[in-house]
Amino acid sequence: MSLLAVQDPGPLTTIQDLGRFGHLRVGIPTSGPMDREAFLLANRLVGNPDGAAVLECTLVGPRVEFADDRLVAVTGADMAPTLNGAPVPAWETVRVKAGDVLRLGPARTGVRAYVAVAGGLETPVVLGSRSTYVRGRLGGLGGRALRRGDRLPLGAAGAPARPRRVRPGQVPVYGGAATVAVVLGPQDDRFTAAGIAAFLAGPYELLPQSDRMGARLKGPFIEHTHGHDIVSDGVPMGGIQVIGEGQPIVLLADRQSAGGYTKIATVCSFDLRRIAQLKPGGRLSFRRVTVAEAHAMLRDSRRALDAAIE
Amino acid sequence: MTIWPEPRLLPCGDGAVSVELGDEVNRELNARVLALEYLLRQRALPGVGETVPSYRALLVYYDPLVIGYEALGTTLRELCAKARPEVLPPARTVELPCCYGGELGFELDAAAEKLGLPPAELVRLHAGADYYTYFVGFTPGLPYMTGMPDRLTIPRLQNPRTKTPPGSVSIGGIQCCIYPIESPGGFWVLGRTPVRLYDPEAPDPILLRAGDHVRFRAIDRAEYDAIAAQVEAGRYAPRITG
Repeated sequence: MSLLAVQDPGPLTTIQDLGRFGHLRVGIPTSGPMDREAFLLANRLVGNPDGAAVLECTLVGPRVEFADDRLVAVTGADMAPTLNGAPVPAWETVRVKAGDVLRLGPARTGVRAYVAVAGGLETPVVLGSRSTYVRGRLGGLGGRALRRGDRLPLGAAGAPARPRRVRPGQVPVYGGAATVAVVLGPQDDRFTAAGIAAFLAGPYELLPQSDRMGARLKGPFIEHTHGHDIVSDGVPMGGIQVIGEGQPIVLLADRQSAGGYTKIATVCSFDLRRIAQLKPGGRLSFRRVTVAEAHAMLRDSRRALDAAIE
Repeated sequence: MTIWPEPRLLPCGDGAVSVELGDEVNRELNARVLALEYLLRQRALPGVGETVPSYRALLVYYDPLVIGYEALGTTLRELCAKARPEVLPPARTVELPCCYGGELGFELDAAAEKLGLPPAELVRLHAGADYYTYFVGFTPGLPYMTGMPDRLTIPRLQNPRTKTPPGSVSIGGIQCCIYPIESPGGFWVLGRTPVRLYDPEAPDPILLRAGDHVRFRAIDRAEYDAIAAQVEAGRYAPRITG
């Protein structure tokens, strides 16, 4: 068995696969990648199945050493990857040899980078997934973020895939203001017309307290009709809670399964990556779409993803 | 009570829909939610993913590339009409030992004073009740329960604490709550159970299920320590009937 040696973990590097499904009904979140598209492209670049486990690196990347020859790909935030000190491209397949050291630095743009290794990370499967849920001490390696000295088992790489790259036009550009599509509801009827207008006008600023559970935002006051409490119900992925101070929180991969605050709208799945890659202080606006429009946009986004690799 | 004549289907983005059956905390209403979830899972519709029951709504995740919103809505409305409590399998009763007061139940005396009851009477009333689990969630394995006598209705703490130890048995409003993992909390901690409601190392990490009844059995500190040692060694199973 081959091992990936963690020389420097970075502030928050976790193991993520597509997510842990089927346990949300008892309060265990799906977890999985915050930027699903970058995650999938990393796996596809090295010839892995979509569900293989990769590293999700946050703000500053790790330094890892390889024990054998592999294909590797780095996607997501621009962390200026180097191999043995020499720059290597992101968004394309990179060959590494035994003893090579891959290093990701501080994110120049974006927040989360993904490192996929051919064969995938083969840490233990817990409740059907390798994804790390730190708050619940579940998955990954001992349910925690990576530490210096960790050694991550790798699966057997399939037949060496031919090197590939993401078409230059398909590489997302991070930074600047993000606009994300939302469908109003489930509790939009608990807000005044002025409150909904303020929410859709924006913009909102991402606060540094944001994490894998939720993105806390600050901006125009969103007015309720009568209070922010509801009889607790399920919190969808991307659900936007508006709490007492009239400020929104977008609930994300490690969110609580249920909650008692009004939800004005829900961010569409294909735009969650824009929030995942927004730096603290970055600007965000919401654009209202219907369910039918959202589904058409989802189909377009899947098609673009499937055609992204040359 | 507030049960809608027709279910409300509320879109939650491009991949989920909330089926809202009413707007209050009520066992009959909740049983219909659980029945709807049960029927939907039995139907095993392609494209339907996770389901999250709560007091008065069922959140249904779906893959819109497999099942359309209209088709899903039609099925959900059809199942709502059949979602009667009688379709559910018999409920279980789970008995949880609980050590009240002292350092484990560090707010028992304060809660008793707030309620104008002797602490022993508060314990007797709390441990004598039959609790119903509406649903499980927020954090892994946390049961949303009611069942206390009205006499124990108590306002939540004015200043929520930032850390509540796992296993803490607590009350707030009309609710009784057990914290599965260390969490912030605004409920009064009356005692602690040595049983794990969430054990990430166990094959089935969650103890309580929606619809379960829960009874507390008052134990002393010596028995608490003995059971905690058995739990630690993986040799303790709480009594579950039904």
